[in-house]
Amino acid sequence: MTGDNVLVCDNIVRRFGGVVALKNVSVAVRQGEIFGLVGPNGSGKTTLVNAITGFYPPQDGTITLDGQKINGLKPFRIASMGVARTFQNVALFHGMSVLDNILMGRHIFMKPNPLASFLYPWWAQKEEIAHRRHVEEVIDLLQLAPARDEHVDVIPLGLQKRVELARALCAEPKLLVLDEPMAGMNQEEKEYMVRFILDAQDALGLTVLIIEHHMDVVTALCDRVLVLNNGQEIAQGPAREAIADPRVVEAYIGKPRNAA
Amino acid sequence: MFYRLSGTYHTSYAADRKLWKIPADRWMVILLLILAVLAPLYVSPLYLGSYVLPWVIWSAAALSLTLLMGLAGQLHFGFAAVMAIGAYASIHLVRFGVPFELALLLSGLIAAAIGTVFGGAALRVKGLYLVMATLAMQYLVDWVVVNVPAISGGAHATLRTPEVSFLFVPVESLAARYWLALGWAVVLTVFFMNVKRTSFGRALVAIRDKDFAAAVIGVDPFRTKLMAFATSSFMGGVTGAILAYCFYRAVTPEQFGFNVSIQLVAMVLVGGLGSVIGSWLGAGFVLLMPIFLTNVVSGLAAGGWVPVSQNFLSHLPLMIYGAMIIGFLLLEPLGLAKIYDNIRKYFLVWPFRHARS
Repeated sequence: MTGDNVLVCDNIVRRFGGVVALKNVSVAVRQGEIFGLVGPNGSGKTTLVNAITGFYPPQDGTITLDGQKINGLKPFRIASMGVARTFQNVALFHGMSVLDNILMGRHIFMKPNPLASFLYPWWAQKEEIAHRRHVEEVIDLLQLAPARDEHVDVIPLGLQKRVELARALCAEPKLLVLDEPMAGMNQEEKEYMVRFILDAQDALGLTVLIIEHHMDVVTALCDRVLVLNNGQEIAQGPAREAIADPRVVEAYIGKPRNAA
Repeated sequence: MFYRLSGTYHTSYAADRKLWKIPADRWMVILLLILAVLAPLYVSPLYLGSYVLPWVIWSAAALSLTLLMGLAGQLHFGFAAVMAIGAYASIHLVRFGVPFELALLLSGLIAAAIGTVFGGAALRVKGLYLVMATLAMQYLVDWVVVNVPAISGGAHATLRTPEVSFLFVPVESLAARYWLALGWAVVLTVFFMNVKRTSFGRALVAIRDKDFAAAVIGVDPFRTKLMAFATSSFMGGVTGAILAYCFYRAVTPEQFGFNVSIQLVAMVLVGGLGSVIGSWLGAGFVLLMPIFLTNVVSGLAAGGWVPVSQNFLSHLPLMIYGAMIIGFLLLEPLGLAKIYDNIRKYFLVWPFRHARS
């Protein structure tokens, strides 16, 4: 549980025109923990994730992964350094089967080239099968076997989110970033998803950064949380304590009216 | 195609990734291949030379284009120019004394180099804007070919292909030319299917479907798009050379004009984007259907079945052809390949209704 920091964000600032979406946000995610990112809509959670994964590089501050500076790198570079993520609205490849989508997760370990494809039996096949083994382990872990050969756009949303998680897990990430993995799910699907995340963390020793709105999920999953409001940190610490903080309650449901 | 199946079950990952997973499909492919190879023995030279041979070559061209347009999702409206580069390069290389086999390879590489330079535009622009960039390539290449006498031999010149032999067989008789073209088309077909089952093909599709999601799992959009342009242009360049040596045997710039590019796009769209069988069906449809319709209509007219004027008669086949394209795309936007797939799946599980691929 304890250990070194995997991800360190130091005084991150991100502006969009005149809007300051992140104001000096600092956060450190430790090896092996599940770290929650909480806050009302528009508080800058997804912007922080986008800053970490390289889509909106921060204008100020530094982000380090395992001691290496990653801000300013292109998203695909950051991905190949071991950051995998899922998206709030599922971002699967609709032209592919479930299996091919998950195989894409192995992309950073593969060396695609047309000549290898041309000489498939002598060259590419070995690589394909070796990676298929890894993929099948993740498919077993997330119980996706029955859907393996389906096309991704015909399976239900809950399953699509699980496929996206599987794709991210296949990259053997140092840091797994989950952007609202439970959005749009019913209670049963949510419970399944929590169980899968815990299983995966147990089996693979993951470090997870998770954005989540459902407080029951946050308290069930997260070791520590950071609460953002209007791009600023308002609380950080162990999940239950941080969420009970009066400023967090105020940000979510408003200030209790003073008796006067 | 008439067989029933309770499901396809594999015992190894290699078997699961076979090109044709069902025995009946394998037999069909072997049968088709034998029929195709033996075609010079039973197809009359007239039909072989004017229908089957161009069909095979244009299928190869459609396969080259659909790698780029169908798999990688990069629109290209100047593909005839790529083929022109291949054709002219191969002729000049052979005249220069390069062996034909090597000249084919080099002409592909030259086409790939030039095609990739123009494809570089794709890194900045998408969709219609990329269409404009590739159109610019079409007109630029056309202009250079026409106006540089060293390439075209003069503004209205026709450049005859020199006599060559491929692996010691002279590419002279109709059968030899057909077999060379067929060999290339088969190589491209197998290559394309292999691309689709390897990481290269998946990366292309990922870039096409969701570029940000592709980037977040480590696909380099820059490299992948350039690789798509290079590979597709290489295939197109060699196909252009094959077209020059095996079919036209004398090239002029008009043979690689803008209308040819559009025709290629039509083949790819009617056949079904990114599909192997679609490329063959689409090329066949676009090339042969107008001819077939003309024959049918004039046959009917001769028998007195179509009482229309001679003038209208010449336009009637084209009208039917246009209506057929619109009809196909309305009924099945995924093209002839999808129609074939639907029929295949129907018989796969007949008399039941639901098929798993």
